[in-house]
Amino acid sequence: MSSQPCHRSGSRLRISLVILLLLWSLAPMLWQLYSSLRTPESLLAGLAGLGGGWTLINYTAVLQANPPFWRYLLNSSVVGALSTLLTLALAIPCAYSLSRRGGLLKVVVGGGLLAAAVFPYVLLFLALLQVARQLGLANNLLALCLPYAGLSLPLAVLLLQAAFADMPVELEENAILERFTLWQRLRWILLPLMAPSVVSTGLLVFLFSWNEFPIALTWLSRSELQTLAPAMARIAGSSVFTVPFGPFAAATVLGSLPLLALLLIFQRQIVAGLTQGAIKG
Amino acid sequence: MINFAAVRPWGQLGPGGRRILLAAALGLGLALALLWGSIAWASRPTTVRVLMPAPFADSTAMLVESFNREHPDLRIVVTRGPLETEAVSDLAISSLLLGDSPYDLLLMDVTWTAKYAAAGWLLPLDGWLGPTPLAPLAPGARAGNRIDGTLWRLPMLADMGLLYWRTDLIAAPPQTPAELVAISERLQRQGKVRWGYVWQGRQYEGLSCVFLELLRGFGGNWQSSGEGLGSPAATRAASWLRELIVKGISPAAVANFAEPEALQSFEAGEAAFMRNWPYAWQELQGPASRVAGKVDVTLMVAEVGQPHGATQGSWGLSVLASSPHPAAAVEALKALTGEAGQRRLVQRWGYSPTLTALFDDPALVAERPLLPVLQSALESVVLRPINPGYAQLSDILQRQLSSVITGEVEPALAMERAGLASQQLLEASGRGGGR
Amino acid sequence: MSILLMAPALLLLLAVFLWPIVHYAWLSLQAQSVFTGLKPVPVGLANWERLLGDGRFWQDAVQTLRFALVSVGLELLLGLAIALLLHQSWRGRGLVRSLTLLPWALPTTVMALGWRWILNDPNGPINGFLELLGLPSLPFLASTQLAWLAVVLADTWKTTPFVALLLLAGMQMIPADLYEAFALEGGRPMQGLLRITLPLLRPYIFIALVFRLAQALGVFDLVTVLTGGGPASSTESLALYAYLNAMRFLDFGYSATLMLGTFVLLLAAALALVLAQRWRRASA
Repeated sequence: MSSQPCHRSGSRLRISLVILLLLWSLAPMLWQLYSSLRTPESLLAGLAGLGGGWTLINYTAVLQANPPFWRYLLNSSVVGALSTLLTLALAIPCAYSLSRRGGLLKVVVGGGLLAAAVFPYVLLFLALLQVARQLGLANNLLALCLPYAGLSLPLAVLLLQAAFADMPVELEENAILERFTLWQRLRWILLPLMAPSVVSTGLLVFLFSWNEFPIALTWLSRSELQTLAPAMARIAGSSVFTVPFGPFAAATVLGSLPLLALLLIFQRQIVAGLTQGAIKG
Repeated sequence: MINFAAVRPWGQLGPGGRRILLAAALGLGLALALLWGSIAWASRPTTVRVLMPAPFADSTAMLVESFNREHPDLRIVVTRGPLETEAVSDLAISSLLLGDSPYDLLLMDVTWTAKYAAAGWLLPLDGWLGPTPLAPLAPGARAGNRIDGTLWRLPMLADMGLLYWRTDLIAAPPQTPAELVAISERLQRQGKVRWGYVWQGRQYEGLSCVFLELLRGFGGNWQSSGEGLGSPAATRAASWLRELIVKGISPAAVANFAEPEALQSFEAGEAAFMRNWPYAWQELQGPASRVAGKVDVTLMVAEVGQPHGATQGSWGLSVLASSPHPAAAVEALKALTGEAGQRRLVQRWGYSPTLTALFDDPALVAERPLLPVLQSALESVVLRPINPGYAQLSDILQRQLSSVITGEVEPALAMERAGLASQQLLEASGRGGGR
Repeated sequence: MSILLMAPALLLLLAVFLWPIVHYAWLSLQAQSVFTGLKPVPVGLANWERLLGDGRFWQDAVQTLRFALVSVGLELLLGLAIALLLHQSWRGRGLVRSLTLLPWALPTTVMALGWRWILNDPNGPINGFLELLGLPSLPFLASTQLAWLAVVLADTWKTTPFVALLLLAGMQMIPADLYEAFALEGGRPMQGLLRITLPLLRPYIFIALVFRLAQALGVFDLVTVLTGGGPASSTESLALYAYLNAMRFLDFGYSATLMLGTFVLLLAAALALVLAQRWRRASA
């Protein structure tokens, strides 16, 4: 913030602030990890029982439940991957043409997309439930990708449109002169250059579909088909354990691992995607 | 005439012949395997899936196990639902709404039956259970199963609201609300108890149960049409509840009491009277209780000339209309609600049965001495409105009553609002109602 | 040609966003409930009359608004502080930035389960800490006064990183020489914050405010898993009430009315924000 050289006390202050920040961000998750490795008795005993009481039974309980926990992670991965592909397939052409146009259509569509991106989608659940009932789309992981793609499209189109707008028109002009069709231009020129944006957008869409709760809750009633978010709600309401917090913590840890891994591996792309969204939005 | 000269032994068959023979043998083997497989498939046991709340899944486990042993071609599989009553219903509804329910039987609370029946999810049981299926049941247990002439559910266990009183402090229980208040005040003045009467005042379904018995005792009724909350009797009942707190007969914390809290207080000897369900009796005789052997039960108080009420809560089994094998489901239903099954549940867990024969059984009464009291209580039951929108009506009542109990709103105004809201609810839902 | 390119995406968008609103408008004039055998029956404005007199709806509206304002306010403050911290370049900043983003990356329902344990009375770590200090334990999730604060805490924890990142992006667009010039004229860092950073961040703060407020008014996942709307509906949000009406009470007509009512309130809040922004700009 200031361009003055950092004083010793300033950097000590900064270090303590950073530690505070890391504590605030990570402590709840670390506590889950700790609780997941403790027996029920030791959880209730507090600090007194710190010596013994370490166990893996919470994880076995969760992984051997009916259905086993990895099933939910698999379902979420399938739905996430497919909806990401579908979203990108729909968003790329739309963003391309939006970025190349001007005028009223762009303003109207852009404004509509912005409004849709901000809208709390939980309010759509009843209409979508009726669609599922009428068209028989319930309990079907493939069908679930349709509303997910629809809900992710606003953000995806806005981000990709900004990325397309960064591509100078001259690039395409040469290709057009050489009789490249639109698909060839996209495939060989534009998309390779835009790869980081496409990856970032895809990651954000993937994260969204893992996080989505109300639509999955109403469209999936069979427990073996549930994705992670409604499965956690069902685990929360279950009554198999007298002291449920060990298994709850194990479920929390297992449910967090895939996305944490994703975040740590793709941190740059995800941050870039969010930042781009902020700046262009 | 067979040309024997043309029949060759295996060894002298050419490769083509051997191939044909091999193919024929394979085909025959395949056909046999399919036949055997399909016979085995057809004779595999029919599975009847039942959804029950967790406590009942646990208590019927042994019953289900012995049934499965005795019936090789019929298997009952119990899905252990959540602990909370409402959560079990949510679970069932989410699959029924999608038309994709895996269950054949559902263990239902008495207040759900109207809703599920109106939604068309239940199978009418008339014709499956003989000409008079409800005849063996105690009178109070019969109510709530037949709606608009159709039988939707057969009860397995009964529950009713009771007034618990301390035999070491008074000779006879109070009959009217005024008596209860007078006795409580006297005992509190004498320092024998801290509180007079503990009950469930939290904003939840239990509060509706408490209110319903009292309303009957004040001469009112909560009709199945939803009417009754705006009546003067309802105002009197609500005022009486508020008075208990104002006069110090009930603690202010009763506004947060559910069954466990009220039981805890009574068990510790803090109160002279408690309203609770029959399950509490068992707890009160246990080692942790300070009042073991000093407790008796009776019906809730009522004004002179008005009936004493006991809110009925019963759990019963219904067959889902979407079940692929209703006959098997009915078999399972009969076994779980039958006399043998109920006897075991009563003996082992202390539940209240629904069959008259069990109430009259001297051996069972000897084991469970509370049964005669429960039987007489069952004759005075009062039912919560049999209405598909009951959950919403109850919610309206709970909110208004809660505001009366905490002193935020005057009873008359609160009950009038409850009546008006009920009316608006029913009008907007497509079925007219009254105040 | 370009219309053709946009068509599939636009069609899906219209189906997913526009059609439901239209459908709700129609459905709010019907009774489609368990009373009607789940078939729609026209009842005119009866649902809307019921909405206006529904104490639970207005209580939920107040609760949701209170939650949204407090939560978003906290997120802005904390987000600004975090962005300031991450704005300067120091070793390990990239890693810290990614670690700060972890709460945002976790699905809401997953961590909500974790919060149930953290806030548990009396065995959770927060109450354990209070006990160490000799203070009485607090019934976070059982008290009608405290439960909504628990929801605010969990929500703030999850979405502050998003706001922080947004503000950080805005901060990094501010040219450094502005600060240098300011320092040369004898300005202190604190004043620099107030007179350079905040005004130039205003559009980003506005975006974060609009985005977060809209999301917070529709809070559903967190409330469902953390408190279930309890105790005694004290943490119930508008979205949860609409959901219960459809899935528990089987009253689709009224549920649609509730959601349209929530939408109207949302529009009103958005309008209020835009007008406030215009007014500030005019008076600044």
